[in-house]
Amino acid sequence: MNPTILVVEDEPEIRQFLRTSLKAEGYRVVESPNGRRGSLDAGMHKPDLAIVDLGLPDFDGIEVIRRIREWSPMPIIVLSARIQERSKIDALDTGADDYITKPFGVGELLARVRVALRNAIRASTGEKMLMLGPSSVDLEKRRASKDGAEVHLTVIEFRLLGCLAKHLGMVVTHKQLLQEVWGPTHVEDTHYLRVYMKQLREKLEPDPVRPKYLRTETGVGYRLVADENSGMEP
Amino acid sequence: MKWPGYAWAAGATFASTLVALGLDAYFHVVNVALVYLLAVVLVALRFRRGPVIVVSVLNVVAFNFFFIPPRGTFHVDDPQYLLTFAMMLGVGLIVSGLTERVRARAQAQAALEIEAETERVRSALLASISHDLRTPLAVITGASSTLAERGERLGAEERAALAQSIFQQARDMSELVTKVLQMTRLESGAIKLERGWDSLAEIAGAVLRRLHDRLATHLMMIDLPDDLPLVRVDASLIEQVLANLLENAARHTPPRTLIRLRAHVAGGEMVVSVEDFGPGLPEGDLERIFKKFHKGAGLGLAICRAIVELHKGRIWAERLPGVGTAFRFTLPLETPPPMPVEALAG
Repeated sequence: MNPTILVVEDEPEIRQFLRTSLKAEGYRVVESPNGRRGSLDAGMHKPDLAIVDLGLPDFDGIEVIRRIREWSPMPIIVLSARIQERSKIDALDTGADDYITKPFGVGELLARVRVALRNAIRASTGEKMLMLGPSSVDLEKRRASKDGAEVHLTVIEFRLLGCLAKHLGMVVTHKQLLQEVWGPTHVEDTHYLRVYMKQLREKLEPDPVRPKYLRTETGVGYRLVADENSGMEP
Repeated sequence: MKWPGYAWAAGATFASTLVALGLDAYFHVVNVALVYLLAVVLVALRFRRGPVIVVSVLNVVAFNFFFIPPRGTFHVDDPQYLLTFAMMLGVGLIVSGLTERVRARAQAQAALEIEAETERVRSALLASISHDLRTPLAVITGASSTLAERGERLGAEERAALAQSIFQQARDMSELVTKVLQMTRLESGAIKLERGWDSLAEIAGAVLRRLHDRLATHLMMIDLPDDLPLVRVDASLIEQVLANLLENAARHTPPRTLIRLRAHVAGGEMVVSVEDFGPGLPEGDLERIFKKFHKGAGLGLAICRAIVELHKGRIWAERLPGVGTAFRFTLPLETPPPMPVEALAG
């Protein structure tokens, strides 16, 4: 059966645009005009993915995410305006998996949806092999190579990659990474990430100055993109 | 601000008493009274009502004590001097009332002038924005109505071209609106820096990815030393500065012009440069291009300046010797925090 997508958005025009483009791709679409309705619809229709606008009239989109996360790990993508930098990060830290900044094109939206749905399936099967152009990383056997030659990655570097790989193709915030790799006492130490990402890029990226696989989401976090989904837009 | 007024009031009484005592031998007591009155007027010109009342009362007391017989006492023999006292007090109050009113009017005038200036800037801004919005809106209205009303008579290629131009224009418009909003927020001080330790190379990498299509017409050269220190900045804002400078360089130079992004450390700060080897800026003031809606630059450079200055840095443009232009900004360097142990090991 085709995946069902819940759209929680108050603007009818944007809902229409989302409905049209998602249906054209074969998804089933459930629409909610506000947060209260959205939280209920999530429980009632058990969608495969939710798209939640952050600026809802009744309550914050973050509250919708919190309510869904109480019972479901379904992928959640938030829609945010450029000016809502802070609430975007809060939404991601609350449990949203990815975000799209308004205004966005349909290509970007569908790519995000595809990645999130694919990742939800992968999370259960568990894929541990990363193909990053000239480099490949086997997270299970803890082995990495670039251009056929073995590359030594430190324990922390493997842990960092593993954390990013769990959300392959999706953004992971600084806080999430720091918490998972270094522990809760280091959630403010963003400079750790700068140092390790630089090392990882130098070891794995074909052109570390313009990273293609270990991407920076400025002010938010990082996104690991492997070859199977590197065709997606930034 | 209040106490100096009262101090001056007491001082004025003291000074006028000294002058009056000097005049006393040669002049009639009426002229002596006028010296006191002059002191009241002078205090009224400079200070508010409180000090004026104080100087009026003090003057009456001093005048009575030193000059009204019997001298050296507060006793008054001739009741007509009571009228003199009342006059001195009255004149003091009236003068202070008058100067107060003049002062209020001057302030109102100044406020009006500021408002008029703000209004002038605002309408210039509005005029410029609406001019910049009009073209995309005309294209969007025209193209979309063509698609809606005549769509079926058009070939697939024409339809696609119209849709594409709607997309393009709408995106440009949205960028302009974002910039206007950003400028407003920067100007009103609504933006609080969310600073963190960040790598300029990383920010640059993200910008280059985001602007990939727009910079594809030009030759990009990235020159960032490997050992560039971390900076404590609001990364999203610095990303905007880099994006604006790079876009600016691409927009104002012909295709295939070389654009170089550089950074180096000099004198306790990081200097970041976007250099282009295009035709160079026309003659004129290099400062002016950072003003809002300077012709051609739009808001981009004004936003850059506001952001860099929020970071306590400087931004400027230079004509490169021979050919081309450089835009440079500085970011102060701070002592970086300690690194995790494993990183130091390699």
